Amino acid sequence: MSAERSFRKEVESLRLGDGEIFHGEGILAVTKALLQSGVAYVGGYQGAPVSHLLDVLLDSEELMDEMGVHVETGANEAAAAAMLGASINYPLRGAVGWKSIVGTNVAADALSNLASPGVVGGALIISGEDYGEGASIIQERTLSMAMKSSMWMVDPRPNLTTIVDTVEKSFELSEVSNTPIIMQLRIRACHVQGRFVAKDNRKPPINTRERKKDPAPFEYARLAHPPVTFIQEKLKVEQRLPAAQKYIREKGLNEIFDGDISRHGIIVPGGLYNTLIRRLARLGLADDFGNTRIPLLVLNVIHPLVPDQITDFCAGRDAVLVMEEGNPEYLEHQINGILRKADIQTRVHGKDVMPMAGEYNATVMHKGLMGFIEAEGLGIGDPASIREEDQRFSAALDGAADAFPAPLPPRPPQFCTGCPERPVFSALKLIQAEVGKVHIAADIGCHAFATFEPFSMGNSILGYGMSLASAAAVAPFQDKRSISIMGDGGFWHNGLTTGVIGTMLNEGDSVLVIMQNGFTSATGQQFIPSSEKGRGGRKPGMSIEKTLQSLGVPWLRKVRTYSVSEMVDTLREALTTPEKGLKVIIADGECQLARQRRLRGEHAEKLKQGGRVELPRFGIDDEVCTGDHSCIRLSGCPSLTIKPNPDPLRSDPVANVNNNCVGCGLCGEVSHAATLCPSFYRAERVRNPGIVDRAVAGLRNGVINLLQGRAA
Amino acid sequence: MTGSVNLLVAALGGEGGGVLTSWVVNAARDSDMPVQATSIPGVAQRTGATTYYIEIWPETWAELGDRQPVLALSPAVGEVDIFASSELLEAGRQIQAGYVSPDRTLLISSTNRVYATAEKMQMGDGRSDDKKLVQAAGDRSQTQVLFDMEDAARESGAHVSAVLLGAIAGCGRLPIDAEKFREGIRAEGKAVEANLAGFEAGLKAARGEMAVRETQPHERYSGVTVSSQIAARVRDSFPNGISGTLDHAVRRLIDFQDAAYAGLYLDRLGEFADGDARLLQAVARHLAVRMSFEDVIRVAQAKTRPGRLDRIRAETGANVGDTVVVTEFLKPGIAEFCDVLPDRIARLVLARAAKSEALRNWQKGMELNSSSITGHLKLRMLAGLRRWRRGTWRFRREQESIDAWLGMISDAKALSDDLAIEIAECARLIKGYSDTHSRGTSNFHRIEEALIRPALAGEIAIDEAVRGIAAAREAALADPDGNALSQSLAEEVRPEELQKEAAE
Repeated sequence: MSAERSFRKEVESLRLGDGEIFHGEGILAVTKALLQSGVAYVGGYQGAPVSHLLDVLLDSEELMDEMGVHVETGANEAAAAAMLGASINYPLRGAVGWKSIVGTNVAADALSNLASPGVVGGALIISGEDYGEGASIIQERTLSMAMKSSMWMVDPRPNLTTIVDTVEKSFELSEVSNTPIIMQLRIRACHVQGRFVAKDNRKPPINTRERKKDPAPFEYARLAHPPVTFIQEKLKVEQRLPAAQKYIREKGLNEIFDGDISRHGIIVPGGLYNTLIRRLARLGLADDFGNTRIPLLVLNVIHPLVPDQITDFCAGRDAVLVMEEGNPEYLEHQINGILRKADIQTRVHGKDVMPMAGEYNATVMHKGLMGFIEAEGLGIGDPASIREEDQRFSAALDGAADAFPAPLPPRPPQFCTGCPERPVFSALKLIQAEVGKVHIAADIGCHAFATFEPFSMGNSILGYGMSLASAAAVAPFQDKRSISIMGDGGFWHNGLTTGVIGTMLNEGDSVLVIMQNGFTSATGQQFIPSSEKGRGGRKPGMSIEKTLQSLGVPWLRKVRTYSVSEMVDTLREALTTPEKGLKVIIADGECQLARQRRLRGEHAEKLKQGGRVELPRFGIDDEVCTGDHSCIRLSGCPSLTIKPNPDPLRSDPVANVNNNCVGCGLCGEVSHAATLCPSFYRAERVRNPGIVDRAVAGLRNGVINLLQGRAA
Repeated sequence: MTGSVNLLVAALGGEGGGVLTSWVVNAARDSDMPVQATSIPGVAQRTGATTYYIEIWPETWAELGDRQPVLALSPAVGEVDIFASSELLEAGRQIQAGYVSPDRTLLISSTNRVYATAEKMQMGDGRSDDKKLVQAAGDRSQTQVLFDMEDAARESGAHVSAVLLGAIAGCGRLPIDAEKFREGIRAEGKAVEANLAGFEAGLKAARGEMAVRETQPHERYSGVTVSSQIAARVRDSFPNGISGTLDHAVRRLIDFQDAAYAGLYLDRLGEFADGDARLLQAVARHLAVRMSFEDVIRVAQAKTRPGRLDRIRAETGANVGDTVVVTEFLKPGIAEFCDVLPDRIARLVLARAAKSEALRNWQKGMELNSSSITGHLKLRMLAGLRRWRRGTWRFRREQESIDAWLGMISDAKALSDDLAIEIAECARLIKGYSDTHSRGTSNFHRIEEALIRPALAGEIAIDEAVRGIAAAREAALADPDGNALSQSLAEEVRPEELQKEAAE
């Protein structure tokens, strides 16, 4: 469930039955596929691009209840991964989802301990690969995590039919090989809008309504504990791996698309298939319907590889191209090893023509294919049409590069209009102008937008909820105290233990600012333990303030974020007080996106009943503004912008508040706290004004008009 | 037509790009055509630049039979049929990325700008050149549909996404009937009237049926009466080409002070009347701005102008019957008091302040309801101090500073018109209030000391000084900490001065 988006409409499509057409987004198709696979429990932790997986399930409590499916939002990804432990002892199918690589890293401990004993019920991890264009995290691939723990990894072709089919088969693969499966879905695959033919949902045999009477018997072999861990390590390679390879081969999980150019071939993970086919089509090596001239081995399963399949595909060919994003090139290395052992002399191209780093988009793939074709002596396809396509591609790229002499200004994401977190950074800018620069440990969350202009703050980002911990060895070496920024989402995710408790334990002396806005806002406003409303509209009832008090945090303040002057004073005290120990400032302000959504409803309701509604906004007298833009450097609000100077004698643009202003008050606070200029005003429109409002307004207008010599 | 029809939409997060994508997908689906759309929302949805990509196969499923087209998830360079952007810079960004090409792409873009932070936060003018963006849009695409979608959205009360949808539907490149889109909007049932109005506006614009509206330039001081004597001076003593600037300038200064003050302006400008036209233009412009400096009285004048409350009222979108309360944010300190104190008294105050930090830093933040009678009266009283302005400390300081600046321009004129123009242009640095004003003034003096005075004394070659002053002025506007200016001056200052600085 998320405050940002309601999935009521989508919930309906989760009920589709045999033969009906499902239209929708990739990640919702996965959700439907889980229900078609008879999943008994689903969990996860929010994060783009897989937030909607849980959001939609939480919005469909009724259906889940009918189906007897248990849905849980993990406190973090480790909790979600540990939840899969249910499939170790019981024949329950379960799935969890998170943003990878970060989520997989957090979950790693539980995943290792899950993979070692293995599962009897199918266990599926939906890994939203936040990799390439639009990604918001460190760029690493998840494959190595699957390989080290002997979990299988699927990477289906990005069309809804294949994705759904792969979900269903993954559960079977998991069960026949007793191994958890990771399914990686790239950003665009998660958001792809397409269609597939639905099947009936399957009620899990054991479910929340038809429960099991007794727990599983004690079985030491199901524990990740010595001495059985040594046996489990052997089981992974001696039993589970061959079982998996047999299933993959027999059920045709990987696909071979044959073609007439028999001396060459391409091995590609399913996820890259659509981009590849389009490039091949433009080079005259395929058509738009997937009929390829150059044979393809499409790996919908990228771990484990099936050696027979590789040797069968490569044997008799001069060369193959392996397309694999990231490094090291695990697939290419394995394929080389497989061919070497089988004494097959087929040349293997891969990272020699493809880049070691970065997403394989159309441009990269085009260049890689050209490299492959050239390396193979232009012996693939029709040289004339290939050259023509290459020239067209280069001309388009060159023309684009020449379009502008200078780089265009970037437009990274930023704090929303009226965001409660922005004022805290205005205050941080002001206090640093006063006391000098301090070390700022940044964190994951919307507040990381402060690393962009106009704030440009933050010395490091070490992971979600890790800011305070990351300052532990900085603070002892600085004259001034360091400041760590943490969101409430990060605090509950793990900042409480790694940061607060760690600092208390070590008697650390630094400052922690917790942004309390009530949601994990960056991921779509999912609820957290301290949200006003949680599942089913009920209040979870946990409080950051009380938690910190119970830990005995010696110095604790709560400041309304928009009170910039008060925040500056509080920060000054935190930075300069002789008192030792952790100092925590809770910066309190509801996520403005959520607030506006709430207010829209409330206002509409009030207006319908003729009630009084105040709508504040800010404005700037363009005659008073001189166009220095100090206010913008201190605020950065999207609605505080510039416009051409109406003064014909001045050229610099003046500041301007556009119609998106929500009247948060920061402009007024900042112009006071920073003594900016008298240009700002707040205009409060009152709809359905009361008698007193109207009388006062009438009198005022009359007198003012009279004073100005105008007819009232 | 062979192959898919590829549509790339560039938008800013939160603009409704997702809704737009759904509309297009639904229209294609309702036309029984294969369609696939992808996006990279992630955190970009928080007002950052983002794109949506849609491929439509222009045959129906019935026509396709067993064949299933493989549609791509991301755009490829030079393979976009329709590119649509709700903002001009974002069009430029995708042009730069190669997704708009002269042999294939129809480009639809709004001409309005939503400025990026990097453009907004500069101390001077950091805006990208719109003309270059429009030029590139023309050069790099096959055909263009360019119009102000923000304007169209405001007029129709629709979200900009509806206007953009109309333009896409009307561009003639989609294999989908426009009526299908209307059906989609109706079926969704949200803000149907407004969205349909926005859709039709976009549709008309794409079909070239939109009426072009002329905007009238607004003269703020049109209500000011200019005496025939001053009008005659403007007409007779100055070249024709400058009359527009002078007409505005004298109105501005009569409004600021009185007719005599406007006369002083013309007196001061007189010596430049027959010289280089560029110099006359530069001095005329900056002198009028400098003479109408931003003291407390001027702020009060601006905030009590007839019509201001009506303008603000309109800005809030207030309907008849709604009330609007306007609150001003003022924070006067010692400097602002000296704006209105007589010269001698202000000197005493400032002498005390020099010794007392508490007094020096004294400020009073106040929120003043200017739509109330008492609030309005307070501001009117302040504005009324205009008649004593000539005796104030601030007025005297400004006149001294203006005369010094004019003196330098005058001296420079004898050496080189270019040098004189550069000095005149440095007035651009002096603007704003409190810290901003002192920073600008101090930057001006740094350039004066390092370059202008030495140039006038013949210690620096003229062309070197001209280049140096221009560079230093840009540097002064580069960052509020003055780092770029220090660097710029260090480059321009002669080696012996650098040594002197190093010795200090």
